[in-house]
Amino acid sequence: MITHDIVIVGGGLTGLMAAVEASPGADVAVVSKVYPTRSHSGAAQGGFNAAMGDDDTVENHVFDTVKGSDYIGDQDAIEILCSEGPEVIRDLETMGVPWSRTGDGRVAQRSLGGAGYPRACYAADFAGHVVLHTLYEQSVKAGIRIYPEWYLVDLLIENGSVAGLLVYQLASGRTEVIRCKVVIMATGGYGRVYQKTTNGHANTGDGMAIAYRAGAVLADMEFVQFHPTTLYGTNILISEAARGEGGYLRNVHGERFMAGYAPQKMELAPRDVVSRSIFQEIKEGRGVEGSYVHLDLTHLGAEKISERLPQVQDLARRYAAVEPSAAPIPIEPAQHYSMGGIRTNLNCETNIGGLLAAGEAANVSVHGANRLGGNSLLETVVFGRRAGRRAAYLAGSAGLAPPPKDSLDAAMERWLANFGQSRPEVEGDSVFVIRRELNRTMTEKVGVFRTGEELKEAREELAGLRRRYSALRVPVKEAPFNYQLTEHLEVGYLLDLSEITAAAALRRTESRGAHFRLDFPGRDDRNWLNHTLIKKGEKGPVFGTGSVSITRYPPQERGY
Amino acid sequence: MHLTLSVSRFDPKADTCPYLKEYVLSWEQHETVLDVLFKAWHEDPGLSFRRSCRSSICGSCAMIIQDRPRLACQTLVGDLIGDGGRLSLKPLPGFRQLKDLVVDLDPFFEALKQVIPWVLALPGHDGRVDPKAARLAEGPATCILCGICDAGMQPAGRVSPAALVKNIRLAVDPRDALGPGRLKIAGLTGEGLMTFRELLAQICPKRIDIPTVAVE
Ligand SMILES: Cc1cc2nc3c(=O)[nH]c(=O)nc-3n(C[C@H](O)[C@H](O)[C@H](O)COP(=O)(O)OP(=O)(O)OC[C@H]3O[C@@H](n4cnc5c(N)ncnc54)[C@H](O)[C@@H]3O)c2cc1C
Ligand code: SF4
Ligand code: FES
Repeated sequence: MITHDIVIVGGGLTGLMAAVEASPGADVAVVSKVYPTRSHSGAAQGGFNAAMGDDDTVENHVFDTVKGSDYIGDQDAIEILCSEGPEVIRDLETMGVPWSRTGDGRVAQRSLGGAGYPRACYAADFAGHVVLHTLYEQSVKAGIRIYPEWYLVDLLIENGSVAGLLVYQLASGRTEVIRCKVVIMATGGYGRVYQKTTNGHANTGDGMAIAYRAGAVLADMEFVQFHPTTLYGTNILISEAARGEGGYLRNVHGERFMAGYAPQKMELAPRDVVSRSIFQEIKEGRGVEGSYVHLDLTHLGAEKISERLPQVQDLARRYAAVEPSAAPIPIEPAQHYSMGGIRTNLNCETNIGGLLAAGEAANVSVHGANRLGGNSLLETVVFGRRAGRRAAYLAGSAGLAPPPKDSLDAAMERWLANFGQSRPEVEGDSVFVIRRELNRTMTEKVGVFRTGEELKEAREELAGLRRRYSALRVPVKEAPFNYQLTEHLEVGYLLDLSEITAAAALRRTESRGAHFRLDFPGRDDRNWLNHTLIKKGEKGPVFGTGSVSITRYPPQERGY
Repeated sequence: MHLTLSVSRFDPKADTCPYLKEYVLSWEQHETVLDVLFKAWHEDPGLSFRRSCRSSICGSCAMIIQDRPRLACQTLVGDLIGDGGRLSLKPLPGFRQLKDLVVDLDPFFEALKQVIPWVLALPGHDGRVDPKAARLAEGPATCILCGICDAGMQPAGRVSPAALVKNIRLAVDPRDALGPGRLKIAGLTGEGLMTFRELLAQICPKRIDIPTVAVE
């Protein structure tokens, strides 16, 4: 049996930051289903928010974030996020991140949506990529043990505390048990429940689903962010940086339609507002070809585009056959970010002993009902660092639990139940078909605009899909690089998370941030100024509420 | 439109050597090679290939497409063939084929340790970096560690191509204690660097622009 003090699941920004922070004092390992540099953090383009500008302050950043969250971000957590931000950016600086620079050599910052100041530290439009690679360099330097292409399949919990993990090694096709004192879940979001998403193929929410099945509390899963500007068709992200650098949104008549929805912030209103405005334009017949709108960068000029937005330029040319300095880019909103996740306290601890969570997989909650651009990357490093610190402390003060026994037997039983012969309920059924239908249901019925009726339909459809899924098995067990197996497991996670998201959305009878109910269009602070808490019950998710931390900013009307 | 996809298959548990398997698939103008690979997989779930970002930024999907190494998600089918054409996919050469299009990348990541692959921070550096110097690092810092250069090029100096790209990225960083001295340590001559620059430009999918630094 492999043994480590701390095992971090996930090699994205959160996982690597936690590993680098925890490693001097503890034996740390990173388990990741893709090589760490392949994590989706590397696709982030825009930047990391931190109040470092001359006129900017931590208070401003806190207020913008609280308002952006539509007042259910926890203000104590937001204060930590914003006040530790500048310090973490300086840490990253020391590690060697190749930021873009101002004339006098400081880290350059740009405006992103919902912010009062240019606050996002950037490196052209490769912010996530360069920081991910720098943290990877640091983990090599620290000699951290990395297990690439190892899949977490189960958490082993004995007497309410973590005793280890059951993992599947892609290359050998076999399972292994890892014993440890602390696990940090840094497994990212679950964007792949949607058909239209900016997220990569690995973002299937494994960590959230596995933790939930093991008894961890999830929170706020109804809040899903839709990014306004993704390439029409492929949904590859065109960063908010494109609007931060001055890009316009135009409808079929060439009008900057944001003037009608957010006259002050215009294109840089928060994402929930912009995404709804785009759909409204399309619905009212002002979409281009009836189905998308234009992101116009032509007035920025070729030079600025290739200096500040080289990746955007490349993506538009390659995937949309558009030269952004010469023609507008066809865009549509698509799923982008999961505000919900594994509920944690300010030290990233969950309700299970020895289980920590951070980053997009977690809900601490700094984003509330809507995340601001640049705050998620900041969250990965601020809370990744806190999780690493806390894990090192916990590992130092606890001994290794005895080898997992009952939990391992139960986990192996669940594992073996994945294999065998399928008895499909529907002729030709497969996990591919189920995934496609699940994606469609979620996009059509649990999307930007929601109604009680459609959410109920979604719930029914998902229940049917679950029944069909339960008849399917994976034919081969110990095969190397068995992506048929990982697909089977991932569809199981997507089903759990879709069900939870739809049920939570049905339950919240108000509109707040990214959760918009056409049948309850107003915010209802009397009944809903609270977090949704979700626990696994005998017959599916059981819901409760948790209070919101309000330290300085009582809820106000949210205008932009 | 249709195409015939020919894929190198190899299962270490069942096969003594790789063989080619063909799939007849439909495709559309905007689709990438990765898109059609997914279609092949849906027909034949035992097919193995790596993927993650699908937007040319993670480096997972490097393979031989037609005659040369490319990223599957970056390559548009329509740029290579027309209706009824043939598309051939093979694993990246120079690495052990583990299963179908998946190769053993541990040696690739290990090779990065031929250089000191992190900024050796100059003590007391105030962190400020001249924007011109920062721009020099931008090209090599966009390397996605896809492995294509190691598969298709000879080592330059004493180190593998991707390790050299990392080394150059660090050599131009004013915060690094070794700085340009890194290139000499790696056994590189000024001429060697120029040749490397040209060869990399022909093969690297990110078309990384290697800055011309003086090799001390
Ligand atoms: C295209 C795009 C652009 C973005 N741009 C910005 C931006 O400009 N600013 C901003 O603030 N935010 C941005 N975001 C959001 C931000 O990038 C993400 O929220 C953040 O990077 C998530 O980091 P993470 O480390 O929590 O997860 P990820 O980077 O997603 O990493 C998850 C890790 O978990 C591993 N993993 C998952 N499941 C398993 C399993 N079963 N077993 C083992 N390992 C597993 C994966 O291998 C991976 O290493 C963007 C997001 C996208 C999709
Ligand atoms: S230098 Fe280019 S070819 Fe080589 S690993 Fe980096 S991105 Fe790939
Ligand atoms: S899937 Fe990421 S580079 Fe192709």
